[in-house]
Amino acid sequence: MNLTLDAYAHRDSPLHRWEPRCKLVALLVLLFAFAFVRDLRLLPAMLLVTAGLYAASRLPAALLLSRLRYPGMFLLLFALLVPLLVGSTILLKIGPLALYREGLLFLLLVATRFGAILTVSIVLFGTMPFLTSVRALRALGLPEILADMTLLAYRYLHELGRDLRMMQTAMRLRGFQGRAFSPRNLRMPAALVGSLLVRSYARSERVYQAMILRGYGHESACCASTLVPVTRPDLMALVGTLLVATGFVVGDVLLRTGALV
Amino acid sequence: MHLPDGILPVTVCAAGYATGGALTWYALRKINRQANPRARVPQAALLTAAFFVASWIHIPVPPTSVHLILNGLLGVLLGYYAVPAILIGLFFQAVMFQHGGLTTLGVNATMMGLPALLAYVLFRLRFLFGRESRAGTGLAGFLGGAGGLALAVLIFYGLLVTTIPATLDIRMERAAITALALAHIPVVLLEGVFTALVVLFLQRVRPDLLDGASGWTPPVPVAAPDPSLPGIRGADEPHA
Repeated sequence: MNLTLDAYAHRDSPLHRWEPRCKLVALLVLLFAFAFVRDLRLLPAMLLVTAGLYAASRLPAALLLSRLRYPGMFLLLFALLVPLLVGSTILLKIGPLALYREGLLFLLLVATRFGAILTVSIVLFGTMPFLTSVRALRALGLPEILADMTLLAYRYLHELGRDLRMMQTAMRLRGFQGRAFSPRNLRMPAALVGSLLVRSYARSERVYQAMILRGYGHESACCASTLVPVTRPDLMALVGTLLVATGFVVGDVLLRTGALV
Repeated sequence: MHLPDGILPVTVCAAGYATGGALTWYALRKINRQANPRARVPQAALLTAAFFVASWIHIPVPPTSVHLILNGLLGVLLGYYAVPAILIGLFFQAVMFQHGGLTTLGVNATMMGLPALLAYVLFRLRFLFGRESRAGTGLAGFLGGAGGLALAVLIFYGLLVTTIPATLDIRMERAAITALALAHIPVVLLEGVFTALVVLFLQRVRPDLLDGASGWTPPVPVAAPDPSLPGIRGADEPHA
């Protein structure tokens, strides 16, 4: 399992240099504008904006492909069912199967929106270190408890993942196979999950004490001050992205109400 | 069990953020009212990480295997901290595996977080049987695990049914969705049994973990640092 988000966070590109708070606001608004689109005629523009952003981020294409593989399976299931089940206008009929126009168009809309939103979110969180993302979110008003929990959970994901793999290896070395469904094969994984919880709980007690020793709970330097100041190009990029997002929303409303033909 | 980006209309995503935000606000308010809200942050964070990796464990159900959702168990063990824990877990899944999504984060957090709180309430039924009763703890664990997942499944399919675009064949799709929801009954039962087994394991090994969600105190009494001592960070600056 690859749990790292920071593999490409230290490259150099306009998106890497964009101030994190501006980038978060701009790209999150863009994501929602994409989710708003229901008119098929806006899809080429959506793809164009997404491709432009990805190219500007200078992230490798292999990253996008590897990230799209897993959610792609879900989409494939959707693609196999919807065009055959949904709609009234038959495009093609093979034996008992019929391919419907409405289903196909709905699939096209969903798949494009899905791909565009995923790609932009990869650009958003792939072009800055995770710590910076959380700091920027905190500066934008994320509650402190949430920010602390996020960072700590991220810090210990890898270690607990390693603990789990180690315990699973130990189980296999002692002859546990667990391929059939039986009460025992349910009890053993339950004990595994229980042990993992006990381990993480015991570890958290030590972590908490270490944190208190380092002054946790006493307000120190505010996180906002560790972020770089916002410059004019950052703001211009923010305004530009917000305008593009507004364009998608307004364009969709106009196209669907028929004001724009 | 997560709704991905791009499928739901944006109104549902926005409503999801509203309900998810309200739920998180409510949970954080409850947390902040505790005597020392930060004391449980490391515990809750590490258990969040533990639940995240525990969801990779597959249970053999021939001919295939299923992975567990564990949102009921999360509610049972973490109480109100389960809501931020689920939000963070879903956020990690969205940014690391593109599982779920950022626009549907609110919807998914509500779908999993609300049932986790229900599981927390259901698990407290064990006090009717007495803290030491194994049968009572097992039964309450089953109810928490099964109830937590059952409510999540109901919300999931409820959302799918109500957001089907009007031009599509609603009758057929509803039938398909109902069939899928019914197919989840064995998974709900399995989740309940599994939660009961984990809870019984913890009762044997670390019973204090089960009491964690209710009336929690730090495991080892650790005094907060005295700000008047030299060398404590922040001691010299005035703060609010």
